[in-house]
Amino acid sequence: MNRENKDHLQNHSKRSGIQPPRWAEQLLIRITAPYIRDEVLGDLHELFQKRVHRYGVTKAQLLYVLEMLLLFHPRLWRKPGQPIHTDTKQTDYSDPNLKTMISNYVKIAFRKLNRHKSYTLINVLSLSLGIAGAILTFTLVKYHLSFDTFHADYNRIYRITTELRSEKVTYSTGVPNPMGEAFKSGYDVAEKVGRIGFLKERVVSVSPQKKFKEDVAFADSDLLHIFNFPLLEGNPRTALQERNTALITQRIAKKYFGDNDPIGQLLRIDSSLVVTITGVLQNLPATTDFHTEIYLPYSNLQDHSPWMVEKDWWLGFNKEMQCFIKLKSGVSAAMVDSNILPAISAKYYDKENAKIFQFKLQPLLDVHFNPKLRGYMEKKNLWTFALIGFFLVVTACVNFINLATAQALDRSREIGVRKALGSQRGALFWQFITETALIASVALIIALGLAYLVVPTINQWFDIELAINPLTDTYLFTFLLGLLLIVTFCSGAYPGLILARFQPVLALKGKLSQQSAGGFSLRRGLVVTQFAISQLLIIGTLIITNQLRYSEQANMGFQKDAIVILPMPDNQKSKITTLGAQLSAMAGVQNVTFFDSPPATEFLASTGIRYASRVKAESFNISYKTGDDQFVPTFKIPILAGRNLASSDTVREYLLNEAAVKALGLASLQDVIGKTATINGQLGTIVGVMKNFHFKSFRIAIEPLCLTTRREMYTSCGIKVNPTNLKATLAGFEKVWTTLYPSSIYMYRFLDEDIDRLYKLDSLLLRLIQWFAGIAIFVGCLGLYGLVSFMADQKKKEIGVRKVLGASTSGILWLFGKEFSRLLLLAFVLAAPLGWWSMNKWLASFVYRIEIGPDIFLLAILITFLVALLTVSLRSVKAALVNPIKSLRAE
Amino acid sequence: MKGTQLGELEEIVLLTVALLYNDAYGVAVLEELSSRLERPMSLGVVHRTLQRLEEKGLVHSRFSEPIAERGGRSKRLFTITLAGEQAVQEARRIRNELWDGIPKTAFGRLT
Repeated sequence: MNRENKDHLQNHSKRSGIQPPRWAEQLLIRITAPYIRDEVLGDLHELFQKRVHRYGVTKAQLLYVLEMLLLFHPRLWRKPGQPIHTDTKQTDYSDPNLKTMISNYVKIAFRKLNRHKSYTLINVLSLSLGIAGAILTFTLVKYHLSFDTFHADYNRIYRITTELRSEKVTYSTGVPNPMGEAFKSGYDVAEKVGRIGFLKERVVSVSPQKKFKEDVAFADSDLLHIFNFPLLEGNPRTALQERNTALITQRIAKKYFGDNDPIGQLLRIDSSLVVTITGVLQNLPATTDFHTEIYLPYSNLQDHSPWMVEKDWWLGFNKEMQCFIKLKSGVSAAMVDSNILPAISAKYYDKENAKIFQFKLQPLLDVHFNPKLRGYMEKKNLWTFALIGFFLVVTACVNFINLATAQALDRSREIGVRKALGSQRGALFWQFITETALIASVALIIALGLAYLVVPTINQWFDIELAINPLTDTYLFTFLLGLLLIVTFCSGAYPGLILARFQPVLALKGKLSQQSAGGFSLRRGLVVTQFAISQLLIIGTLIITNQLRYSEQANMGFQKDAIVILPMPDNQKSKITTLGAQLSAMAGVQNVTFFDSPPATEFLASTGIRYASRVKAESFNISYKTGDDQFVPTFKIPILAGRNLASSDTVREYLLNEAAVKALGLASLQDVIGKTATINGQLGTIVGVMKNFHFKSFRIAIEPLCLTTRREMYTSCGIKVNPTNLKATLAGFEKVWTTLYPSSIYMYRFLDEDIDRLYKLDSLLLRLIQWFAGIAIFVGCLGLYGLVSFMADQKKKEIGVRKVLGASTSGILWLFGKEFSRLLLLAFVLAAPLGWWSMNKWLASFVYRIEIGPDIFLLAILITFLVALLTVSLRSVKAALVNPIKSLRAE
Repeated sequence: MKGTQLGELEEIVLLTVALLYNDAYGVAVLEELSSRLERPMSLGVVHRTLQRLEEKGLVHSRFSEPIAERGGRSKRLFTITLAGEQAVQEARRIRNELWDGIPKTAFGRLT
């Protein structure tokens, strides 16, 4: 294309916004013969523009690519055809032209692949499964790595977090309320400082009929300048400054007001707050951990939840009261960590507390990954996925190399002829690479289709929004291109080299032995690799399954079946009493209890304790749980000493668990009965000791715990029901509940679902690994099948001779079996220690866990053995049963 | 043999080129064909056919000026050559003769 034309083109692209996919255009420019380039591109462009009008951009782009693919034909890149005069047309091979050469390669490759259909099918199938797995893991990993990267200057944004360094270090995402002010006014390192208080599941309504549970956040106006939450309507300068105003996202606006203008409309938050909407935020992207869609000014927190900002003090903090800062450019986080934050501790605390209360900056990009600070996904898991995806591609490539080298012998004559006719080694090599590239490209397209079909399911599992669109996603496109190249070269180069190295004379005579075809030992090595990968995945699947089953079925130390939990919007005495009385009176209800959290939860507040007449507070913290006198009988928690709590609305008596008694350093459980304790600043009598139960997940050891009555803390009601006629019972609950709390939304859940949620990510991990293990095994079997069929062909005559000489069918089966059994055992020797080591690392995150016994390894090898046996026998039985006359007649 | 024979698709495309007279190029031919035939047609097929026709000397092509709507590229405009005209005439003649030769009783026997 000449210069003038190019300028013209660029001008044009600037003028009209919609352009066909650039990569496709570039590709065409590259490969199309110059004399038709303009015409082809012009036609495609014109069609594209017309289709954009007719069907929209996405479809037009898809059609563009489709048209482009259909254009691929030697005519696209060869020289202008001469007018035809003769009857036969001949390509001129004497001219060493790259384009003719490639078209020749492609032509031969097509013929070859067409002739060996099963070989092609096995390769395409296993490669597409492997690549589909790789695409999915890549998208998943990329998705998680992109969390919160859409904020401008995200590398300057930090969350201040708290570390409590008493005997043990505890981490919290929250900071004391005055932290934001202290940081902003005292030190000149931050561009912006924003406090934010998150409140989950508030009732938000515009009318009694239209109410939903929604997360809300109370935020400083500076937060809008830290986070990239663009304001579509409203004034960014005054947003979040005036009391009783609110910002909502487009989605919420649509949900509550439909197409009406939301600005100026009123929203009621719970029963305590009515706010005017003054701005609309752009919808939040899926890749953020801050899902809140309603923002209220921080000053309103006092009106809504005074308990959160009750005292302007430094000794208390809540995980939902967070503080974000954007550092000035040039200020390093390490400096703030080592100088400023310790200075704040020193300034606002007395000497002892200054040691305990330490603050640290957490980079914004760490928020999604840090398990100590409630991160959603550990990076470790992501790398596991990536590794598994890599494994899948490796097994697929292994198949390819195996089959190709096995076939090499079969093709020795063809190679011999070619060499005798003067083919260069390089030419042979490239021809083989072309063949591989063709297979890999087809596999890639199928894999994309597969991944596209599976993505909705994965999205549903993880509750995320992955999308696969290589046309718009440059990362994915580059990844695919890279994968194609790597797969092609990794799996094509070795067999290609082997083929190119054949001695023409020997090859022509058909005298090449398996040895000189190369890679017999290599092939064994590859099969071993494949089996080892499959076994590794099987071992992983088995161990994760067992651990999760253990967590599900193990005795938590309390009763968890048939318990319904109803959250309560408030805890006025009269309402609790009425609710309790009415629920207890219902048929099918055995116990009713009120508490702040069920026996097992993810997060639990902990506090200091001072025992009896000891002068100093204990050095450990005790977890703090509240529940009424029915808590212990409802969950059937055994009392080992003393008695259950007496009914009360305030803190009077404490129940401790065994761990607490042990931490107090007392020999006998009886010793604590009747003693006093000051816990959370409130004095009470210890009346009993509960048996240890798991009040957090199995990842965490059982720590000291106390239970006390305190009505103002109760947020839920737990009901032990009779499982027969459950439906009617649940309907009854709803009726009672809604008459008591007409302005709230009724919800219930079962306790065991609640506990399963503690292991949600683990069970998702398990499901993915199960699928991937399944694919790996299947791909491995495909390869095995191909290899055995090849061996059967090779040994046709040997089998014939053996049969004539009186060998039995089973003896011939053993011929195939022993080779593979050996390889399988070898693979096991590799996989077992690796699996043991890696799974031990995973299990290490559980304090209460299963032991990895020999049974798991036995089971793993048994499974692979069975599957491999099935595959091998599928083909070898056929070989063994063949009438020897048929195979020997040709001699 | 292959060189002189006119395939069915080639014949249709050639006729379309004649029909469009001064404005026959890839997209125009594609759209004309798609609107008349009830089968999907891709640009690739049209291109290859036009190229083949040119190699056989049945059409003749020239380039237009660059056009903005096509991203600044020119059209390759095709016109039917004398040889092309003869080829379609010949095809028509053969068909006519075949039609004329069909005995009256061959059609509609089942009614």
